[in-house]
Amino acid sequence: MSSFMRPQDAAGWATLVLAVIIILLGLPLVYMGAELAALGGSWYYVICGLAVTLSGVLMALGRVAGALLYLAACAFTWLWALWEVGLDGWGLLPRVFGPSLIAIAVLLCMPVLKRAEAAHSPSARKVA
Amino acid sequence: MSPKPMLRNVLLGATIIAGMTAAAIAQVPPADQPPGTGNATPPAEQPAPPADSFAPPSPNAPQSPGVNAANIPDGPPAEPSAATPMVEQVTANPAHDDWPGYGRDDRATRFSPLDQITPSNVGHLKRAFIYHTGSKPAPGQTNKWAAETTPIKVGDGLYMCSAMNDMMRIDPATGKEVWHFHANEKYDSIPYTAACKAVVYYTSSTVPEGEHCHHRILEATLDERLIEVDSEDGKVCEGFGWHGMVNLMKGMGESVPGFVAETAPPPIVNGAIITNQEILDGQRRWAPSGVIRGYDAETGRFLWAWDVNRPHEHGEPKEGEHYSRGTPNSWAAMIGDNALGLVYVPTGNSAADYYSAMRSPEENKVSSAVVAIDVKTGEPRWVFQTVHKDVWDYDIGSQPTLMDFTKPDGTTVPALIMPTKRGQTFVLDRRTGDPVLPVEERPAPSPGMVPGDTRAPTQPWSVGMPRLGFAPLKEADMWGMSPIDQLYCRLKYRRAHYVGEFTPPSIDKPWLEYPGYNGGSDWGSVAYDEKTGILIANWNNTPMYDQLVNRKKADQLGLMPVDDPNYKPGGGGAEGAGAMAETPYGIVVSPFWDEYTGMMCNRPPYGMITAIDMHTQKVLWQHPLGSARANGPFGLPTHLPLNIGTPNNGGPVITAGGLIFVAATTDNMIHAFDIHTGKEVWNDVLPGGGQATPMTYEYKGKQYVAIMAGGHHFMMTPVTDDLVVYALDNVN
Repeated sequence: MSSFMRPQDAAGWATLVLAVIIILLGLPLVYMGAELAALGGSWYYVICGLAVTLSGVLMALGRVAGALLYLAACAFTWLWALWEVGLDGWGLLPRVFGPSLIAIAVLLCMPVLKRAEAAHSPSARKVA
Repeated sequence: MSPKPMLRNVLLGATIIAGMTAAAIAQVPPADQPPGTGNATPPAEQPAPPADSFAPPSPNAPQSPGVNAANIPDGPPAEPSAATPMVEQVTANPAHDDWPGYGRDDRATRFSPLDQITPSNVGHLKRAFIYHTGSKPAPGQTNKWAAETTPIKVGDGLYMCSAMNDMMRIDPATGKEVWHFHANEKYDSIPYTAACKAVVYYTSSTVPEGEHCHHRILEATLDERLIEVDSEDGKVCEGFGWHGMVNLMKGMGESVPGFVAETAPPPIVNGAIITNQEILDGQRRWAPSGVIRGYDAETGRFLWAWDVNRPHEHGEPKEGEHYSRGTPNSWAAMIGDNALGLVYVPTGNSAADYYSAMRSPEENKVSSAVVAIDVKTGEPRWVFQTVHKDVWDYDIGSQPTLMDFTKPDGTTVPALIMPTKRGQTFVLDRRTGDPVLPVEERPAPSPGMVPGDTRAPTQPWSVGMPRLGFAPLKEADMWGMSPIDQLYCRLKYRRAHYVGEFTPPSIDKPWLEYPGYNGGSDWGSVAYDEKTGILIANWNNTPMYDQLVNRKKADQLGLMPVDDPNYKPGGGGAEGAGAMAETPYGIVVSPFWDEYTGMMCNRPPYGMITAIDMHTQKVLWQHPLGSARANGPFGLPTHLPLNIGTPNNGGPVITAGGLIFVAATTDNMIHAFDIHTGKEVWNDVLPGGGQATPMTYEYKGKQYVAIMAGGHHFMMTPVTDDLVVYALDNVN
């Protein structure tokens, strides 16, 4: 069973905090998004919320896959936003601006996650 | 079920910390939120007998102390009579340099022939002076101020009223006060808003030139008085009413201070002053009357009344009687027509705006309509209705503008332009009320969702005029700073009933009211250049989120009418939740917004300005009006010059110099636009909110632009008592 990251330095802590923020942002998307879908509204939020929440959990577990999942969700969000509102600036603002900022933060955390994953890999354990 | 507010706030905080966005929208004030699906089910068995905690006073009960605050003696009920003949007034053919009436002239064009200021030199426009009216909230007073004043200028005098109805004459070049009439109005007399849109200049036909009160300044007040003073010294005209005053509460029956008020300038048509009055919305079904009355401009003598449920009685009510209660009130500025002998009255709704089952057929014919009344007799000549059986508070706030409409066959029709909150602008023949441009009756959702209160099967659409509005809302139009608050608004959208503009009121869950009672064109009205045929309108795009609540719930929410002995100010007001006592339901009204961030749920723009060519009825240009500089999430200013388009209140002005001046926006700015391109060529930050219509005049060879920066409590813009006047700094 995997265990949560044990940050060794500032970059590690920042990654864990980012992972927790992503989980906290994903959960209301799931919760409210499920109601929206049940009321006949868009399915985007509940689907994206599940992906984002899972990506946060994986990142907290020190898995590169978490970051990749978040980036995929962000790319999906861009496609969805362009489909829903086109190139309309005011329309794109709530849909992609924040998620893209977080995507940049996630990219910056990639090296940390890679290190953490390497530390957890069987070969690394043997060395330890 | 929504997540706990606390949790959501934290989450939103996190989103913002994550740098979501600083983009912003206009502030909207707090309001009670509709209770949502947890609301009690409608009484399907029978319309619940109002188990009302409110015991309505008899309509014949004496008026509370302070209603007739000036203690004007009434005398016996008056019979109808004829007005003293009138001489031509200054607004008939305004002098080139003047702005002698609220809408400048007898047609309310808001067009000035002045051309000193042009798009090429407007950059030199600088403040010439600031005049302080002296009326603003005292420490400890709830802010109910929004002066909404447009000064008038005749000859050597600039005349205006303060928000609390003091009148003054100011030197047009220096802003020095020449005289100041104290109306001595009480705070209790403020209805929803302390406002005075304008005074009226009147030239007497009986007092010779050179004598006191040959030229007079007239106003109608918040505490329901007509007052006439001399234009030279500001002293009351003793020949008018009782020491210069007429008590408009005579015959109104039971009332309390602030229930009935007048904020618009009363027009004078063929010698008759015509009065309407604002009745506080949402209070109770049998609120005081919306009666329209005529008074002699020379003497203040009663002439006639048009009382909807006493249609053929034009005299004052007999002792122990009163004007018919709960009838549609008209609070907009009216406009007269001396040639046809008519006054055009834009009407509002019967009392209890959101429930129509208790209205009489007579009321249903004339609410939310233009009613043309014969100023000799008080008989209505024609009626054009803009909403049938209105339960959306689409009362008409705009003043009609008169024009000569040239038909394709070359004939000219005396016409009237009636902008509405729906954003439908109707163009009518002034003689008959028939539409000049096509109006279609289109199916509307019927019978509705409230037991026993059916909606009209059709509603009128002015299909010949460009709409001052957008398409119906879709879920994808919801907005926010982040996906989370956008999602919250999408949920609010899906949790409500919405089937377009005439979505019937509902009890089981909220309904979306769009364009909403703050949408379209409100009291700012429009401006029209007769030479070029260009019409300028600024308007709003601000939906509302409403829900009817049963009487028990209304009592729980503490909703009670203003004349309930337990009434506390703030316990339900004209623009928010209302008791609608004496009906089965109360009403909860709130902006369609994210109540946590204070941002509107629909995407921007929230305010627009449009130029329409009236010859072709085509839009010349249209763009968002107002920037995000003074507004933002959580009520914080963004200081961003983004032209987002804010809610706006206050009309435009057109000048022959090719400019449009308009303030109105919640960014507290006054703007100048090039009328041909729509390009913003100048602006200035005002000391307070510019929720008023500007005006322009020339004095001693210099053109001035004046704007009352009085602010607006509901728009949450800074309230001041500053009249700001501009002139070019390179002209002597």
